[in-house]
Amino acid sequence: MSTVKQDTRLRDILGTSALRPDGVAKVMGSFSFSSDMWAENMLWGATLRSPHPYARIISIDTTAALLISGVSAVITAQDVPGKATYGLISADQPVFASEFVRYMGEPVAAIAADHPETCRRALAAIIVNYEVLAPVVDPELAMLATTEQIHPDGNLIRHQKIICGDPQISGDITVEGHYTIGMQDQAFLGLEAAMAFPDSGGKGVELHIATQWLHEDRGQIAACLKLPEDNVRLVLGGVGGAFGAREDISLQVHCCLLALHTGRPIKMQYSREESFFGHVHRHPAKIWMKHHATKEGKIVKVESRMVFDGGAYTSTSPAVLINGITHTQGPYQCDNAVVDGYAVRTNNPPCGAMRGFGVVQACFAHESQMDKLAQACGLSPVEVRLINAMHTGDKLITGQAMESVAPVERCIRETDAIPMPEPLAANANVLEFPGGSGRTADRQNIVRGIGWGVSMKNLMYSEGFDDYATARCTLSNGIASLKFATSEVGQGFVTLAPQIARSVLGVDDVVFETSDTQIGSAGSTSASRQTWMSGGAVDGACRLVRERLFEHVGELHNIDPIRLMIEHTDVIDTIGTFRISVTEATQGITLSETFEHHHRKTEDLDANGQGNCHVAFAFVAHRAVVDVDIELGLVKVVQIATAQDVGRVLNPLSAIGQIEGGIAQGLGLAVMEEIIMDNGRVKNPSFTDYLLPTALDAPSVVAIMIEEPEPQAPLGAKGIGEPPCISVTPAIVAAIRAATGKALSRVPVRPQDICL
Amino acid sequence: MYPTRFNYESPKSIAEAIALLHQGGGEAKILAGGQSLVPMMRLRFAAPEMIVDINNIPGLDYLTVDADGTIHIGALCRHSDLEKSSLLMAHQPTMAAAAPVIADPIVRNRGTLVGSLCHADPQGDWSSVMMALGGIVVAQGPNGRRSIPAADFVKGPFQNMLAFDEIAIEAIVPAPKGIPNGGYLKLERRVGDFATAGVAVAVESSQGLIIRAGIGLTGVGGSTINATAAAQSLVGAPLTAGSIAHAADLAAQAAQPRSDHRGSASYKRQIVKTFVVRILSGVVESMERAA
Ligand SMILES: Cc1cc2nc3c(=O)[nH]c(=O)nc-3n(C[C@H](O)[C@H](O)[C@H](O)COP(=O)(O)OP(=O)(O)OC[C@H]3O[C@@H](n4cnc5c(N)ncnc54)[C@H](O)[C@@H]3O)c2cc1C
Repeated sequence: MSTVKQDTRLRDILGTSALRPDGVAKVMGSFSFSSDMWAENMLWGATLRSPHPYARIISIDTTAALLISGVSAVITAQDVPGKATYGLISADQPVFASEFVRYMGEPVAAIAADHPETCRRALAAIIVNYEVLAPVVDPELAMLATTEQIHPDGNLIRHQKIICGDPQISGDITVEGHYTIGMQDQAFLGLEAAMAFPDSGGKGVELHIATQWLHEDRGQIAACLKLPEDNVRLVLGGVGGAFGAREDISLQVHCCLLALHTGRPIKMQYSREESFFGHVHRHPAKIWMKHHATKEGKIVKVESRMVFDGGAYTSTSPAVLINGITHTQGPYQCDNAVVDGYAVRTNNPPCGAMRGFGVVQACFAHESQMDKLAQACGLSPVEVRLINAMHTGDKLITGQAMESVAPVERCIRETDAIPMPEPLAANANVLEFPGGSGRTADRQNIVRGIGWGVSMKNLMYSEGFDDYATARCTLSNGIASLKFATSEVGQGFVTLAPQIARSVLGVDDVVFETSDTQIGSAGSTSASRQTWMSGGAVDGACRLVRERLFEHVGELHNIDPIRLMIEHTDVIDTIGTFRISVTEATQGITLSETFEHHHRKTEDLDANGQGNCHVAFAFVAHRAVVDVDIELGLVKVVQIATAQDVGRVLNPLSAIGQIEGGIAQGLGLAVMEEIIMDNGRVKNPSFTDYLLPTALDAPSVVAIMIEEPEPQAPLGAKGIGEPPCISVTPAIVAAIRAATGKALSRVPVRPQDICL
Repeated sequence: MYPTRFNYESPKSIAEAIALLHQGGGEAKILAGGQSLVPMMRLRFAAPEMIVDINNIPGLDYLTVDADGTIHIGALCRHSDLEKSSLLMAHQPTMAAAAPVIADPIVRNRGTLVGSLCHADPQGDWSSVMMALGGIVVAQGPNGRRSIPAADFVKGPFQNMLAFDEIAIEAIVPAPKGIPNGGYLKLERRVGDFATAGVAVAVESSQGLIIRAGIGLTGVGGSTINATAAAQSLVGAPLTAGSIAHAADLAAQAAQPRSDHRGSASYKRQIVKTFVVRILSGVVESMERAA
């Protein structure tokens, strides 16, 4: 793992490795996660889920469950007072299934009882009569008109084409491939948990919840509860990771309904197994891609067909699809394109947001293709990527101009310059071998391989969505108090926000007000957007307060406020000698300002997939070195070298944390993480069988952060959360290909794909 | 989940324990290390009415070697006792290789070899080791003691040959007639996991010839598999690349793996084959070193 040089500057301003304010508590176990909440007089809520991927509900009998002592409520679809369905883009997902269950694990009923054990017994006592139906699980079949449509909205969630330049043109050289991406889980460690408090009189509810987006949740919950939004207050509970899985509603509506139904606080908390059924996953995808190029390896045209399996409900499938197809070209110049994309409904688990959001899938395909192209042209993986590297000002296949800083070439060159790891020593510890702990790899059978991956990722929301962020800054007696609804899910906004306030206002003490819906929306903690968006909002609010401070000081001391500035912790007169500490200057006064940060407008894609649909982009290169035991199919990722376009480093420690964490998650998709499906059934809903990388699997990461400040970004910093996990996956697979000579067109690469 | 209600007994002697089992009439279960029984009870796969905890019976935790090389493993000898035993490291390479790859240190501190044999999990590592070694389980019941070969001890998945009122007192590895050699390889997805596939090989050699061989397979069938044809193919000849490859093929044929989330059936066969080759190649090396 990397080490970050300790900063010598004393104040925790922007650019320093300020430590997380919640770090010690999290390490010591004293941090309160949403699952730690407790209340006097509370009841436990629990969910009854469908054991079938697809079935008609004939009847639900709750009589026996209600008779169990300790059970306070059993609710089903009939008990939803408002809208029966919810959803991020299209409200097509029932709060409780009533007519059909469309995926294994779909909620059918919920109960409130005095003890988790009572809940378990009561759930077992609910009798649901199902007529089991044959599930539709193949998206290719599902999209046919002749196939049974499993939802009133049909099986095709969205179809979008991109036609750019000359669709007929071809090149001297063509390479093509079919690629498959398995279903990855976000696998956050803090399970879904919430606590709902009913208002007395039952006209409102307060929900403490681990979520990515308080306001979006509130809108969906209020509609289902049939309450005005103001009567539904959301407070951010301690979030133990999210990675996209907390964008959709899981237990929010159930928990509030039970609280309103019983008039008592309700605690709900999923188990690990339930969590696998309770949230959306990364879309499995099938991608065909064909590149046309000149003899010299310059891309002439890209063609692709992408099919994303959205599972039973829409979630964010339409947006994931758009991200996938608009990133077909990767970080490469490409004038001509024909892309056809489908997001399809099946009886598999619903899929939605996960770190990388559609680009992960596209990137595995285009990077596999780049290696094929290199081979066909007799170029190295680095050469082919340099020849085609995109630059600022290039036109994308959507017709949009690349306005972001685009240091693709630099990412590649600087990654390439990172020294290679030492060869595996003759006396290496077995734990360094592929398969590590199993001690089964054989030194003689270990082969090393090197592979490359480079990617481009859009930042913020796309297609006309105004995902603004709001923040309020209040300065009084030398203390800045920040209020925002931004979800801290582990990414470190609670570290960054005070750094911003200290830099702008010259204060040292920064406190937070509760993150809740008592202020405007901050948008979602996703799409690599909070540093840019909520960071921009905090920066904007602090700057407004600073103006007020200068006005106040100017008036008091008879100086034109325009001459004032902050130096360290003082307000100074840039022309004269006047100096007063911010603490002193704010004694007895309160300056408070709220700021909304909006990004520039974007637009929808037209029928040919043309339009300025994205806000901005970030780039990264990865080089992977792997050791493979070829006979057993075991892989050890030895080193990941990476250079990432970050705009500006605001906190080196946080940045390296994102890079290393993203790499671990991308490694997971490359060689181990997959929800294994069998005809609509999840086969491995546990951390015993859903394999996550552990410390033993983590490679050494050598990271370079490329700082070319982004003019569009309020702090010059690009989002850095998603890029690390995107091209590391194809880089690792390319390295395994290099070691084994196998074609490997699917992730995760399973041992059997290597050794059989 | 919580287990269903049960009575708990803690006998101080084997005779007392057998009496309790007898009285339980098939609804009583012995608790040794509890590393399989307790999880089974929590998952409600097992719901015994009575638990007979043998941990307070003195004198069952031994690991001894007779002058002729016979190894005795008492019913309360833990995986970790075997892992740390210099005796096994020096004299019994198959067992020495298996002990450290069972579960994790916490489980190894409590779990027992005899309990593992009794549990008869097709993914349990000790059953295939004992099969490869031609081991014996000594059982004691109201009518006295009897010996059951490890190869016959497992009746099926999670089923052993004990009568309901019998206790397995110890496991025995018979004295070797030649120089013992062998190994155990296990493919696990991560530390503490059960085997995707495991192979135990135990051979005895004399003057460069294999005079006895046993191969046990873990996790590739409904119960532990005794790959007798593969083992027999090695006897009476020196180990050569050809004989090793042949035995590996026969072992892979003997496996009856199923495709599951741990891997496809053909992948598991490939592991079995690779492991047989790797263990026996290691044996060749160590024989050459000794010579
Ligand atoms: C997390 C975890 C990981 C594991 N991984 C592995 C692994 O990788 N490989 C592996 O082989 N095992 C593994 N195990 C199982 C472990 O090895 C158990 O300890 C072993 O299988 C049973 O031994 P025990 O002493 O704990 O038996 P117990 O759990 O006490 O008993 C198991 C069964 O045998 C019966 N029994 C026990 N002793 C006797 C006796 N003397 N006479 C008659 N009946 C008896 C009991 O009644 C019960 O039915 C794992 C266990 C856990 C919890």
